[in-house]
Parts: sequence; C-alpha cells; structure tokens
Amino acid sequence: MTPNVKRPRRKLVARPVTFSPFARSAAHLASAYMIKRQMIENKLHESCQHTPNGKCCGQRNIDETDSDSDEESSEGVVQADFAFFDPKPDDFHGVKTLVQTFLDNEEWNLSGFVDLILEQTTVGTVVKLEDEDDDGLFSVVTALNLGRYKASDIYMQLALELVPLLIRRLFCRSYCDSLNRDDVVNSMGSWLWQDHKCMKELEEYILSVCHESNLVEQLRLLFSKRARDVGLLVSQRVVNLPPQLLPPLYDALFDEVSWAVEDEPTEELRNSFRFKTYLIVTKIYKHKKANGKLEKKADNEEEPVIYVKAEDELFHELSSWSFSFPLKIQHVTSSEASIYLLIFNNILCPRTLPSFSFFTLIFLFGTLRANTKAPVTVPSAVSYNVNLLVSAEELRINGVGYGSRSRQNPHIPTAVALSDRR
Amino acid sequence: MATRLQFENNCEVGVFSKLTNAYCLVAIGGSESFYSIFETELADVIPVVKTSIGGTRIIGRLCAGNKNGLLLPHNTTDQELQHLRNSLPDSVVVQRIEERLSALGNVIACNDHVALAHTDLDRETEELIADVLGVEVFRQTIAGNILVGSYCALSNRGGLVHPHTSIEDLDELSTLLQIPLVAGTVNRGSEVIAAGMTVNDWTAFCGSDTTATELSVIESVFKLREAQPSAIVDEMRKSLIDSYV
Repeated sequence: MTPNVKRPRRKLVARPVTFSPFARSAAHLASAYMIKRQMIENKLHESCQHTPNGKCCGQRNIDETDSDSDEESSEGVVQADFAFFDPKPDDFHGVKTLVQTFLDNEEWNLSGFVDLILEQTTVGTVVKLEDEDDDGLFSVVTALNLGRYKASDIYMQLALELVPLLIRRLFCRSYCDSLNRDDVVNSMGSWLWQDHKCMKELEEYILSVCHESNLVEQLRLLFSKRARDVGLLVSQRVVNLPPQLLPPLYDALFDEVSWAVEDEPTEELRNSFRFKTYLIVTKIYKHKKANGKLEKKADNEEEPVIYVKAEDELFHELSSWSFSFPLKIQHVTSSEASIYLLIFNNILCPRTLPSFSFFTLIFLFGTLRANTKAPVTVPSAVSYNVNLLVSAEELRINGVGYGSRSRQNPHIPTAVALSDRR
Repeated sequence: MATRLQFENNCEVGVFSKLTNAYCLVAIGGSESFYSIFETELADVIPVVKTSIGGTRIIGRLCAGNKNGLLLPHNTTDQELQHLRNSLPDSVVVQRIEERLSALGNVIACNDHVALAHTDLDRETEELIADVLGVEVFRQTIAGNILVGSYCALSNRGGLVHPHTSIEDLDELSTLLQIPLVAGTVNRGSEVIAAGMTVNDWTAFCGSDTTATELSVIESVFKLREAQPSAIVDEMRKSLIDSYV
C-alpha cells in the first residue's frame, strides 16, 4: 500500500465542475471578466463589417456606464467582447446544448440535426467570446432549407431501402466484425439518408402537434411540395445574452442568405437559399387564464403572452399564421411567474413550478424574396420587464414590396409589406 | 460488446446508470427504451434495477459500487435503500455512508480489486470503501483532476482515463491498478469519461454521440470483443502489465 503522502494542495482555479450549460456560460463570462475595452454604441455599426467570406462582425461590450466607480466586480457586471463566427465542426457540443430542447423532450436524431447546422458554413452564425480559445457558445442562428434534406423521388427512396441490405450482405462475408459493418452502413447512410432522418422526424413532430386542421394541410404542403422554398429558422441563445447583439445577428443571417443566393458554387445551392417562407419554432409563456374569463383585477398589466426572445413578438406580429401547443417538459418557475402557464422555460434559466403546462409557438414568417439586396433587420423590440431596450436606429425593417405576390400561389404567404417602425 | 444509447436525448449514459459485474442500476423516467436496452443486453445474467437516489435521476454519479458492495450517499431515502437491498443479490452489501462529498460516483472510481479515491475523502469513508467494496484504496488524481470518479472508467480488464493524462501518470496508475490503461475520450470528444459511458467486464454502454474510433478504443482496452459473461473468472492478477498508450 503506497504511503499516504499529503500532496501539496494545488491552488485550484475556480473551475465549476457542473454539467449545467448555464453554469458553463457563466464560467466563461467570468473568465472573460478581465477584458476591458470601451466601445461606444455608435461604433457598433461601424465595426460591423459583413464580408461574404470572412466574419468579423459586431463586437458588443456589456458596459454599465453608470457604474463608473470601479471597473472591478461591481455587482456582478462582466465585461465581455462577443464575436460572430461561422459554424465549425468543433462547435458541436455547444450547439447541441443550445438546441437540446428544440423539439421539447421528443427523442429524435438531435446529433444529426446539429451536424446539418454545422455543415452549412455559408449561412449561419455562432456567437462566442472574442478570445479564440474559448469554446463557450452563447448563441446559434441559422436557416436550413427543408427541401435540401429530402429524399426527393421514388427511386431515391428505393435506393435507400436496398443499399443497406446490399452493404450488409457484402460485408457479412468479410473479416470485419459486426461493429465495423454497422459503422460502414452508417457512414454510407449518413450521406444517403441519415441527414434526412432528423428533418423527417422534425416534420413529423410538427405535424403531430398541430391541432388545427386547416393548418395541418398547409404544413403538409410546405413539407412536401413547397419544401424547397421553406427555410427553417433556428435561433437559440443563452437567456442573458445582451440584446444589443440581436440586430447585427439577424442582419448577418439575412445578409448571408442573400449573398448565398449569388455566391454559392452550384445552381442548386443558389436556388436553395431563395426562401419564400421561413418557419420558426420557438417557445413562449401563455397566461393561464388567457383562454378563459379574465377576472377584473386591480393590476391589469398581465400580458396574455410573454415572449422569451424579444424578436419573437415581432415575428409573431408579422407572421402569416401561427399556432401554439403545450410543452411536456417540466420546468421550474419562480413565484412571480406563477400566474402564467409556463409555455417554455429555457433550460438555462430554470425557475418554474411543476404544475405548469407549456406551449411552443410555431409560426410562419412569410418572407422576402432572397434575391433582394435590401437587408431585413429586426424591428425594435419592446421592453418587457427586463430592460430589453434596443434603440430604434439600430433596428428597422426596410419597406420592401415584391411583385411576387400576384404571380405566386395565393395560398403561400408571400411578401409581407413591412414599413419603417420607430 | 459496446452499445450506444441515449437517455432522453442526452448522451451522458454514465450519469443515469451504474453497471457492475453483479448488478445494474438504471434511473427512473426517460423512455422505456433506455431501460429495455439494458435489459436486452443483460437479461438473465445480472439483475437490472430501476431506482432513484435522493429523489434524483443522476444515480450513476451519486453511488459507487462493484460486485461486492454498493455505497450510497447520505441523502438516499430509506425507501430507496430498502428497495435496493431487496432487489440486489444477497452477496452485495448495500451501505449508506455519511460523507461530505456526497457524489460518490464522482469521487470514487473502482473495480472489483482496487479503487481510486478523491484526495479529500474522510478516513472513515476510505475504510468503509475498503470494507464494503473489498478493495485497496489509493488516493490519486487523474490529469490533475481530483474527481477521479468522473474522469476514468474502470473494469477488471482495463481502464479509460482523461485524454490529457500524461504518460508518466498513465504508467503510475497502471502499476497501481494492475490493468492496462488508455487515455481517450467518449461522446465525440467529451473528457468526462465516466459520465459518458458505463462498463463492466463483458459489456459497455456509451452515449450515442460516441464515434466509431472511440468505440473501437473502448472495445479494445476493455477487451469486450471476445468477452462472454460466463467466461468471467477471477483471474490471478498479472504482475506489472504494461500500459497501452
């Protein structure tokens, strides 16, 4: 038995050994604490350079200008510089954590979905800290073309059934053990059909939770015939991400979509970014009594719906149609939110009472033709209890009109006339 | 054979299950498929027991055990303790211990002969480990991490440790444990080995993100390819096995 040597206790760096994504993000913010750079809000736009190939986008400082006393820890204020990057395969774990509850607690091919997001480097952004070594991901935004991941025709479908059988038959005679055989099948499958499996599961889930019959038909159309024109907008972030980052983030996304229409190498790829419709799956809080009689209360400020992400409120207003359904995940709430049915609780901010039910909102944001040069930016967000004030100058929607409306099928939500909002 | 699975879209299988040569513990909740995969693999050989510990599902990280015994933290409820005592074979000693570091799965890594312990573990706990589990206890760190239970997975035939373990550390640990060790990852680069997988002498369960390379490393170091449950015999410990790098 080795003698029990008292090892000199190594000075442990405060490294939280937790598995919670919130704790990880908090730890990363704390580690970036020492970075101090003063940037004025105006500089944000100037420093925003969107290049088609590279990325050096908005840098945002969390800066409490009123706490000018000491720049050290003033009530937990942390200085951080965020930067936008293209998705890389290394970002797998961060993106997977953010997308974990995309489809409620449904078991689906989440890893495949994350791989799809990471593959698409031309359209899509991840938000990380400026320091390149840092792996903490704070947000991911991307738009995936639904039609691209489909097994389009009957012959393809047949091939998808037959090829694995053939491969199994070939390989069971070889020296490979069962492990390798399965993996060969899987890796071939991954470029044949496993990419698609997650999209198929996603579509089936959405169809299964939609309880409004007229919308189910529209959804079916979108997923089958019109899939090539539909973009799934995936936007997930940590709950405390500074809202000043949002306008450049969405700017970047829509800019990239329009650049992709011109710059992609093949005709097929170029066309795949000409989205006519965006589909957004997001989570909201819905008031418990929203459907029933509302009692007259002295304090009449209860909103029927709370949007976790500020831009969702605007997307909801602009959307062609939407529906909501309850979530099954149990979340934890604080007592202030007790009057609200918990529609969604971000896992990173767990505070709910278990008796709530949840809703996910899926809405279609009828959008602009992708071959327009006009950038779409998110209109100004309304502050709601959490000081999400974004200045109006930073956010505008350009009024865009499209001739497409008359030419296209009137059932498809086409161009939405948007106007400047102040 | 190594199997890939997930618990409710989560690939950290070692958090929600505990596998030894004599029994298997599985967390409650999650879909039935999680439980049934264990059942299919282990059916008649060892009992698969559904349980919670302290009302939580993270049972793999809260308890430590081998074929001789099972150690439970102080927050295990009496019902859970009784349930485990009833469901596990009589040869397994189930003991609840008072220890400040209550995530026993994170502070203790053990197989049937030897255990690694957190450097700050109480003396009494160390003695209890030696008694209940019937092992020799060594206070060690792995790649500078004191949570030895999280960063390595051990069986009687091999071990997988944190990827940043130096060669000297690997040699030292391998000599202590008398089994071949390999530094590697699980679940597509995750360093927290014991959270991503759980293993015994003839089978292993890994998260579904585990790549084929990682899986083949696991199968080779734990010698799972030719293993059969009936062939598990208490072998004489070979002297000084070289470590695999």
